[in-house]
Amino acid sequence: MKSILALLALTTALTLPGVAMARPVTLTTSLNNYGGDGAYLAVYVTDSSDKYVGSLWMAGNKSKYYQHLTDWNRATGGDTAQVNGITGASVGAGRTLEVTLDLADALFDAGYTLHIDAAVEDMRDSPNEVAVPLTTAGAGKPVRGRRYIASFAYGM
Amino acid sequence: MKKTISVLFATTALTAAIAIPAWSAMRAPASIPAADAVETILDTAQGTTPLILVDDDDDEKDEGPRRGGNDDDDNEDDDDEDDNDECDDDDGACGAARNPAPAGTVTPPENGLFGSGTAPKAQVN
Repeated sequence: MKSILALLALTTALTLPGVAMARPVTLTTSLNNYGGDGAYLAVYVTDSSDKYVGSLWMAGNKSKYYQHLTDWNRATGGDTAQVNGITGASVGAGRTLEVTLDLADALFDAGYTLHIDAAVEDMRDSPNEVAVPLTTAGAGKPVRGRRYIASFAYGM
Repeated sequence: MKKTISVLFATTALTAAIAIPAWSAMRAPASIPAADAVETILDTAQGTTPLILVDDDDDEKDEGPRRGGNDDDDNEDDDDEDDNDECDDDDGACGAARNPAPAGTVTPPENGLFGSGTAPKAQVN
């Protein structure tokens, strides 16, 4: 009986931190009416030394266009494995993309920056369209993009 | 009268000269009525002649960026040589990397950013 209790305590102790160390975060990206086709968006994170850490979302599922997401493409070498399981459709002009992800707590208030590269067919590429520090204080505060993104915010 | 007969004879001979080879070329089975002969020929041709698809190269209007330029206004370059956009394969098998797995089909990458293997949820409004 004692050994079962000990085992339970151990598994609980191992499981709880994993649950507590992540939280659902919603990324909301609204696009301008720029008058073009659907936009490809690469959402990724860099650390305090501006080094690529990983990707959070890819809007647009055809890898042949990823070269136009220039900063993301440069950082990853166009490696599609970086966005396996976190890829969806491109986003039309004037539309709003909402993505809810289970993100590690360690991402916030630790010097990380979220970036979005954007590209639209027959229009200018827009690397680093959005760059916003990931902080708990910054949650829910919309920021403007440079060309295609009307506003971006993350909510916790 | 003789003139009329000779004209009739000439037109009949001309018609026969054109019609007989054409009729022979049809080679419709004797059991099939003449009215169905053309249909028979078309059916036969479909079975033996391979279809050839011709790409006029004007149907490349596809979603996604194709000729997005560099963002530097003062460094415009019209050179498209590094664009591989002529490739229209949806599976990415044109020398480019394969298309990534869509969300929900595999777990997110283990890049330390995700707390668990929970599939992301996305919607466009």
